[in-house]
Amino acid sequence: MEFQGESNIPAPCQEVWDALLDPEILKECIDGCQEMTQVSEHQYLAKVRARIGPVRTTFSANIQMVDVVAPTSYTLEVSATGGAAGFGKGSASISLVDHGSETQMHYAVNGVVGGKLAQIGSRLIGGVIDKLTTHFFTKFVERWTLQT
Amino acid sequence: MYSFRYHRAASIEEAKELHTTSDEGAYLAGGMTLIPTLKQRLADVDDVIDLGGIESLKGVMTSGTSMKVGGMAVHNEVAANATIDALRHLASGIGDPQVRNRGTIGGSIANNDPAADYPAAVLGLNATIHTNGRTIGADDFFTGMFDTALGDSEIVTAVEFPMPSRAAYIKFPNPASRYAVVGVMVSETNGNVRVAVTGAGTCVFRASAMEEALTNEFAAESISGISIDSSSFNSDIHASAEYRAHLVGVMAQRAVSQIS
Repeated sequence: MEFQGESNIPAPCQEVWDALLDPEILKECIDGCQEMTQVSEHQYLAKVRARIGPVRTTFSANIQMVDVVAPTSYTLEVSATGGAAGFGKGSASISLVDHGSETQMHYAVNGVVGGKLAQIGSRLIGGVIDKLTTHFFTKFVERWTLQT
Repeated sequence: MYSFRYHRAASIEEAKELHTTSDEGAYLAGGMTLIPTLKQRLADVDDVIDLGGIESLKGVMTSGTSMKVGGMAVHNEVAANATIDALRHLASGIGDPQVRNRGTIGGSIANNDPAADYPAAVLGLNATIHTNGRTIGADDFFTGMFDTALGDSEIVTAVEFPMPSRAAYIKFPNPASRYAVVGVMVSETNGNVRVAVTGAGTCVFRASAMEEALTNEFAAESISGISIDSSSFNSDIHASAEYRAHLVGVMAQRAVSQIS
């Protein structure tokens, strides 16, 4: 399942890039994120409380940034485990295009789940990824659009 | 199952109080989704608040122009007592006898499973949702996959259906679970036509192109050529998104044929 989208952010490219690497900002933008710690330059550990319908469980996620080309593009590789609920794996490629005072952000996200989650909810995975992605980028863009 | 505290509330006020004071509380209606989820350890909650002891949430009542179903009315009660034929038919086709004796309308719509039958009835018949505090129109209630306009501690107390001039619900059921692979409710009330589709997308939706065509001429032929965009549809081993889109047309035409 893959989702793509793009947003225009009223801020210079470098500022957007810095925000994308800031664990505090990432935490604010990820739905249900309780903790986000940076363990090395390109690696983060996160705890995310997922609340999707009846499912309410906490995932521990390992987030690795690869193919980093500052300040224009990178790919996030995420692997998460949710105890008895199962596990998930996904990646998000983000690229920024500099338009001076504005920045155009493209993203492509895909993911798979395994374990019990996959058994009961395979038809829903697309919807879940779409929902989490939309939430993240909406929140992220709001950082600038709500200020003005 | 993770351990939790079980409460049986005697009134709506007590239930709300228990829910608001809990760090992670869950209302238990029929438990047809919540209990399996807890058993699978897909959810860990601190408090389960059972609404089964609240008498005011039960029953089906018909007045002249509308029918009111209590939030805790089970599917079999609706199947037996509803005065809207399409709703009786819909309720009698949910799950299996065990589910129909336990599952409730309030639980079903509050959960808003993308493949549940009741959301199609609520949206397709333009029902009004009564909660402990306000009323919500059907068009504003279902906001996304497993998402509704309900607040955290809000309870569906009743669902009120206006009496339609004609209505029909047809679904293509998953043969094992009887969940709707695709289900379509078509209705006409005071000249207003509604077509609500469940099972196909991530959330129940209205097929507005079909509604327009049926308003012009209420016949199966008028919607036979309408294609449905399947780009955001569910896809799994039971049915691809394209197949679901095709089924929307077929189910809608069958529903229209039944009442035209």
